Amino acid sequence: MNARLRRKAGLAFVAPTALFLAAVIVFPLAHAFYTSLHRVRGLNATFIGFGNYARLADDATFWHSLGVSFAFTASAVALHLGIGLALALVVNELRAARTALRIVFLTPWMVAPAVGATIWLWLLEPQFGVVNYLLRAAGAIAAPVAWLGEPGTALASVVAVDVWRGVPFVMLLMLAGLQTIPIEQYEAASIDGAGAWTRFRFVTWPNLRYLVVVATTLDVINTIRHYDIIGVMTGGGPAGATEVLPVLIYNTAFRGNRLGEAAAIGVALLGIVLVLAVVYVRTARLDDGTRR
Amino acid sequence: MNRSIGSLIAVAVAALAWSVGAAAQQPIVVQWQTANLTESQYEPVWKQTIAEFEAANPGIKVEPVLVARKDHWTKFVAASQARKAPCIVSVDVTTAAYNGYLMPLDKYWNAEPAAFRSAWSDAMLSSAKWKGQLYGLPIWGGTYAEIYNRDLVVKAGLDPNKPPQTFDEYVAWGKKLTGNDRWATAVLGGKTDTTTRVLLMWIWANGGEAFNADMTEATFAKNPRSLEAIKFYLGLADKSAIAAPAPTTTNYLEQTNLYAQGKIATMRNAYWAIAKVVGDNPAMAGKSFVAPPPANVPNAPTLSTVTASSISASCQHPDAAWKFIKFDADRKWSIARAKVANWMPLRNDLADDPEIKADPLLGQFVRIGRNARSYPLPHPAWAEIAANDIVDAVQKALLAPDKTDEIFRDLDARLTKKLRDI
Repeated sequence: MNARLRRKAGLAFVAPTALFLAAVIVFPLAHAFYTSLHRVRGLNATFIGFGNYARLADDATFWHSLGVSFAFTASAVALHLGIGLALALVVNELRAARTALRIVFLTPWMVAPAVGATIWLWLLEPQFGVVNYLLRAAGAIAAPVAWLGEPGTALASVVAVDVWRGVPFVMLLMLAGLQTIPIEQYEAASIDGAGAWTRFRFVTWPNLRYLVVVATTLDVINTIRHYDIIGVMTGGGPAGATEVLPVLIYNTAFRGNRLGEAAAIGVALLGIVLVLAVVYVRTARLDDGTRR
Repeated sequence: MNRSIGSLIAVAVAALAWSVGAAAQQPIVVQWQTANLTESQYEPVWKQTIAEFEAANPGIKVEPVLVARKDHWTKFVAASQARKAPCIVSVDVTTAAYNGYLMPLDKYWNAEPAAFRSAWSDAMLSSAKWKGQLYGLPIWGGTYAEIYNRDLVVKAGLDPNKPPQTFDEYVAWGKKLTGNDRWATAVLGGKTDTTTRVLLMWIWANGGEAFNADMTEATFAKNPRSLEAIKFYLGLADKSAIAAPAPTTTNYLEQTNLYAQGKIATMRNAYWAIAKVVGDNPAMAGKSFVAPPPANVPNAPTLSTVTASSISASCQHPDAAWKFIKFDADRKWSIARAKVANWMPLRNDLADDPEIKADPLLGQFVRIGRNARSYPLPHPAWAEIAANDIVDAVQKALLAPDKTDEIFRDLDARLTKKLRDI
């Protein structure tokens, strides 16, 4: 087979995948960008160039929502990592019931986010919810707390539920990383008289560092795009306190019927995620180079 | 060889003819989506309506689209954008018509006999029109009034025959009805337009207006009587301390739950809420009484929702859809809805129907509804204004009562801009 034919054959093999990706990724993205350049009211659209982007730059709601997104993502990711790593270290040390514990810890991750959010919505219900009932029974609170009704507790509640859902994934990644660390390194450290903290600092952490960066980047990308939990539990309220960008997009598009503006917010969010993706790819490449 | 080819062609033609015939025998399928098909009190009625319609029209199959109330509009918008919306829908007519999601019904309406058309008043029809064209047939509605738990009222030493007439009297009652882990009422601040419905009623009851006559300006703060009413109503949760906690998460569902469990003694709601309450707690049957909302001005109107059935712009079978809408608007189903689901009929000819009059509570709602304004308000941006902007302002004011003036001034500015941006 000559080179030209081989090239054609190669293209023919790649074509189905390329077409599929174009249909499910490139076309929707291009269409979203096209929509963002229009003033859309229902089925009527008028071209306005970058008008929607100019409007966004001027819109206090967008900036507020961006701030909420960063606050939500930063706190959720920090807790995912902290708790996930701690649990992974504990499970890794266990000799018995490790598999059973893994399954138990993974359960929240197996539950669909919308289903988990609905369960928590009822658990946190002020009058009839189990959380308030238990806290009152224990004497921790005197009156029912409106967990989702006050800005501070609402944001904390959705972060807590996201942590409940997101920790297992990080724990699993960390556990996999911990199990790749050669046992000889720990034995050598022990011979040198290293205690638990020193072993963690000089053996575990350096071996896990790459994985932590990858997990953090992936988790940030995943969390900043997250809609389900907040959409179900608060819809962005009260008074916009939990209105992260995906919820703002939903509210603008479907409650507000302003699809052009919603598409512009979507493109802005895509930009943020792309920057994070570049960080991830660079980190992965850097590590690949150092390992080689 | 030639014979084989001939046979193959004959088989292919026969198969094609069979498939065309089979397709022709398939019934037309029209989908039906309203916010209420998932509500248990309505389920027996709509199931029977569909069954009898299909029996009478074997060529048409009606497929209900079950969707939760809060997702109803968004699902409709998404489907409309994809040109795949259900044929028969009940949505905010003005907003949906402005966005091009609905089909004008004048062709069908004008073709109906005068006897059918006379069952709807011009005023009622105008609530389903946009730019002079009819986009929906008003089917059922709900008048909002103050609903009281008779047992709790009597227990508090109050007379059910003399419900509060003014705001001050309402607070006086409220204080007597509030006790340990029990409140007089609930302030609605949850993220649905029910929050807006109730707020509008308090504003009107104080002689205020939320908008100017042609809906080009918002006057929540600009009109002093409106602002006074807003502060009074939201103050029930804070200043007067007679409302259940967590108002920013309280919607129709939470409010009716609280009432059904005896946690609150009164609620501002429509007749259908009583069916919901009894469904949740059968012990509440016959324990409610209803009165006009308290008001500080004479002849203050209450609010009546108008739910119209429309045909989506993407409907492939509008004739079949109209046939079902007409069937559903019939007296039989209007009465069934009123008796089973507590939804009030909107046809003129049913106001004095003996079966309607036989239900004293329904009769009381009908009387209160004689002085009511139609809802939703007629503006293309109303769906968003009602469910987002006004609710956000209410939530902010509930969280920071001392900033109520500023919050509603901002709302006026924001809404006025939005009202004019069409």
